[in-house]
Amino acid sequence: MSVWSTLSDSSFLEMLDSVLSKCDASHCCCGCCAALRPRYKRLVDNIFPVNPEDGLVRSNMDKLTFYSMSSPEKLDRIGEYLAQRVSRDIYRHRNPMVIIAMEAMDQLLLACHAQSLNLFVESFLKTVQKLLETTEPALQILASQSFVKFANIEEDTPSYHRRYDFFVSKFASLCHSNHPEVDVLNSLRLAGLRGIQGVVRKTVSDDLVENIWEPVHMDKIVPSLLYNMQHARPRRISNDDNSPNGLPEEQVDSENGARNIDPSALAENCLRELVGRASFGNIRSVIKPVFKHLDLHELWVPNDFAIYTFRVIMYSIQVQYSYAVVENLMMHLDTSSRSRAKVRTSMANVLAKIIAIAAGESVGPSVLEIVNSLLKHLKQSIMSPIPVDDKEAVTDEKHFQESLISALAEFAYHLPDYQKIEIMMFIIGGTPGTGKSDPENVPAETLLQHMLLKCLLKVSHKYKSTNFSTSLPLTFLDPLLRTSLVQDAYVRVLVQEILHCLLDRHDNRSKLKKPSVEICDLNLAIDKCSRADSLFYKNHGSRILVNLSESLDLNNVTRENIEAIYCTAALICVELATDEMLVDILRWALAVQDVALTNTMLHPKNRLSLHVVAISIVTLASHTMNVTTLVEYSSKVVSARNGSAPHLLNFNESSAESIQQDAISPECLLDFNAIADCMKEAGRDIMGMIPLQGPFNANQRYSWADSSVNQPSSFTDLSNINLDGSESNTSSPGLARRYAEEEVTFEALKKVLAEPVESRREAEYEKRQVICEKFRNTPFQQLVASSQSKGDVLNDTLNQILTRISVMPCGQPELNAVQHNNQSLPHYGNNFPDLFVY
Amino acid sequence: MEDYKYLFKVVLIGNAGVGKTCLVRRFTQGIFPPGQGATIGVDFMIKTVEIDGLKIKLQIWDTAGQERFRSITQSYYRSAHALILVYDVSAQPSFDCLPVWLREVEEYASPKVLRVLVGNKVDRDDREIPPAVGEGFSRMNNMYFIETSAKDCSNVDKLFQEIARELIQDANSNDGPVGQQDTTHLDGAAEKSWSESNCCKS
Ligand SMILES: Nc1nc2c(ncn2[C@@H]2O[C@H](COP(=O)(O)OP(=O)(O)OP(=O)(O)O)[C@@H](O)[C@H]2O)c(=O)[nH]1
Ligand SMILES: [Mg+2]
Repeated sequence: MSVWSTLSDSSFLEMLDSVLSKCDASHCCCGCCAALRPRYKRLVDNIFPVNPEDGLVRSNMDKLTFYSMSSPEKLDRIGEYLAQRVSRDIYRHRNPMVIIAMEAMDQLLLACHAQSLNLFVESFLKTVQKLLETTEPALQILASQSFVKFANIEEDTPSYHRRYDFFVSKFASLCHSNHPEVDVLNSLRLAGLRGIQGVVRKTVSDDLVENIWEPVHMDKIVPSLLYNMQHARPRRISNDDNSPNGLPEEQVDSENGARNIDPSALAENCLRELVGRASFGNIRSVIKPVFKHLDLHELWVPNDFAIYTFRVIMYSIQVQYSYAVVENLMMHLDTSSRSRAKVRTSMANVLAKIIAIAAGESVGPSVLEIVNSLLKHLKQSIMSPIPVDDKEAVTDEKHFQESLISALAEFAYHLPDYQKIEIMMFIIGGTPGTGKSDPENVPAETLLQHMLLKCLLKVSHKYKSTNFSTSLPLTFLDPLLRTSLVQDAYVRVLVQEILHCLLDRHDNRSKLKKPSVEICDLNLAIDKCSRADSLFYKNHGSRILVNLSESLDLNNVTRENIEAIYCTAALICVELATDEMLVDILRWALAVQDVALTNTMLHPKNRLSLHVVAISIVTLASHTMNVTTLVEYSSKVVSARNGSAPHLLNFNESSAESIQQDAISPECLLDFNAIADCMKEAGRDIMGMIPLQGPFNANQRYSWADSSVNQPSSFTDLSNINLDGSESNTSSPGLARRYAEEEVTFEALKKVLAEPVESRREAEYEKRQVICEKFRNTPFQQLVASSQSKGDVLNDTLNQILTRISVMPCGQPELNAVQHNNQSLPHYGNNFPDLFVY
Repeated sequence: MEDYKYLFKVVLIGNAGVGKTCLVRRFTQGIFPPGQGATIGVDFMIKTVEIDGLKIKLQIWDTAGQERFRSITQSYYRSAHALILVYDVSAQPSFDCLPVWLREVEEYASPKVLRVLVGNKVDRDDREIPPAVGEGFSRMNNMYFIETSAKDCSNVDKLFQEIARELIQDANSNDGPVGQQDTTHLDGAAEKSWSESNCCKS
């Protein structure tokens, strides 16, 4: 009670005061009857000074505030009256009074957190609008400031009917102010930006009020922000990778900031705030106007501003939605398919820049969607008909393709490894395969192969291989190996390079790029082979090796192919150093040498290169497996070559043409039996070689022509003779050769690859049994007879060779072996080299 | 001061340089500004007119004609009660672009919007578009038509007066007092008799 009495006492005094002052104040429009006016009106009137320059009468303002707080029911009347006064003062161009009235309204707004504020707010906003409708910059700026104050208060009850349409429209218009004076222009634009910020703050937090995310608002807000950001100091937009990051570059005092704040900085802040508040459903309505703005203002080429804008967006959007931005950008790329290639390239580049930011958050199908979409664009671009004579268009399109690839690589780089593999499988799945294709489409298909494999290569570059069974699952390995046999030589190089990335766990591949017998100089990093590794080798190793020799044997093989294939084989030596691998790789090396000696379709240079590959691999394998006898043997061959055939130790650029392929003396060649002996001596299990021999046959069709299936032997080639000579010299009567599995055709090979290992092993085991039985049970004479009966061709050839090669310095042990074989049949199992190679 | 009966939103569109801003300033401020610069984004003006004793407040949004600003200007079409499509009678290209503008109107504006075609700069003696051509176009496209000059003031007030009059009629025929709300809708399917009757001849 006492409170109320004091109040009325003081109010009474105030009233007297005001009456007195009113009498003096002749400026008052209706001063004479002041005492008869309602009290709230008198209180309001009293806050205005006699002299406008004096500003708000503070003490009276306090009284008005106190009155409003104690009689909140009067607040709406007070608001209405103030609004009226403002309206009148605007009309009469009495700006100082307008400013004072607005200051009063601000204070009342902030002081009164009453329920009745709702009604006061209506007058308040009406007044703000009134100010915004004037053409005077000062009043518009004032309006914006008051609006921001309003935006920052929390109202108790939302007002469903309130609309911000006008404010958004007008603030957006202010953001584009074209005032001739720069200072005024900046202030007006800042006022617009702050107003927009205010509307956003006011509306986003409350679902019940106007939906600010409606396109009708966003289509005004977003371009206004971008338009101001566009005129930022160049530094802000600069394209280096560390600008704009998660934090605004400079903190902007957005409330009552100083005059010299840069509108672009505030605009950027506003955009960050807006994007940061966007929920998933609203992202599209924010992003869409961004695209429209960038398109219309032609901000894609150059794309610094676009990149800057999207960085800002990506770093402020709620992380879990970031991929939605990427998706939207992709959609925009879709709709821009008819834009200039330069524009699309820029878009793809922007994508590449921001995609990494999204990658961390991408999960599940969205990852593949993004990849799929990128690949779709790539295919589209490659298949799009561009007149070849339009050089510029062609290069532009090429740039577009490259930017897509780097976007993809960038994306994959930031994904967890298991998703990288998924992506790689996805890409290889989309690569036009080895199947039949329309000859019309071949160039485009090959280009697509190039592109996709380049993609794959980029992804695999970023992949850190640990466990081969995860890096190279069958579903990935299969198509990869298939692609390694396609017609286009460059595609095959790419496949090998992909394999390098996936196989190389110790960063050795740069050291193994070129064949070399100087293994110790390479400083290879070698780890012990784990159980998982040897299991992987057991399952897939020999297939990979078969594949490698097949692809060496293709007629259009190039130096790059040979080097790449060598590198793959060498990496297998290093990464999968198991006994099984050793046996296979030795046989592989011999097969390579065989191709070198026999495949006359190959360029002479390449045939020499294959010799280099063979010796290098044997040397490498003997070192990694630490087989002293082999190390010794290989160095013996190396020194022999050093003496008489140095061109067989290094890739030789010049002299290849002049060197006769058949002039290689036997001591310079890898000898099968010598290697076998080394292995035996080292106590290595040579039997282990046997079960895996089958597929190797494929590459030996020249030397091991199968007489049992009545194929005419092709022993006319001198180099063939050479090899066969040294072989036949030492080996069994050739009977075993007849057991070559089947005719070696591509189909057969494919069958071999496709067949489960088990069944193949079984078949081979059976065959072995048959051979063994035969050798066990047939008297030697009969064996000899049967081998003689094979026909004269072989005998003739043998004789020819034997006479031609009169001296065989390395031949001693082999001759011994022959004798040994001839005398004691029971040793056939280990000693018949045929079993190694049939 | 707030005693207007209706509030209408009017949006001006048309090629750059046809005189939209000059028209608005002539109407709202009574001046023909020398060296009027190209509009950036959207400008805003307010003017109250009196029709038959009723005060009508017109919110006038003057958009930039330059194509790059379409990103923002189109967003102002939707809430317009009237759209003024301006061309320059002395510039054929500005007339040739009208179909493009109409397509934008179809896409972004309310289907009930009042559409007015204005041929501006009739004071010039190098006219390229005869009045009949402009009128023909307006009739084909179901628009009102008037020729104006922001420079010599002809028909400028009339343009806005007629718009206000039409909008009142629309509002009344729709029964609902449009009032001072921002959300005024024009549902009336009033016959567009304007160009045939009183205001197309200058
Ligand atoms: N002779 C003559 N010139 C006019 C008239 N109206 C405008 N102009 C001139 O035309 C030019 C462009 O006028 P604005 O009003 O800026 O044109 P606008 O349509 O607003 O152009 P944007 O804002 O770029 O879309 C200015 O140089 C004016 O002086 C007119 O009625 N007669
Ligand atoms: Mg203009």
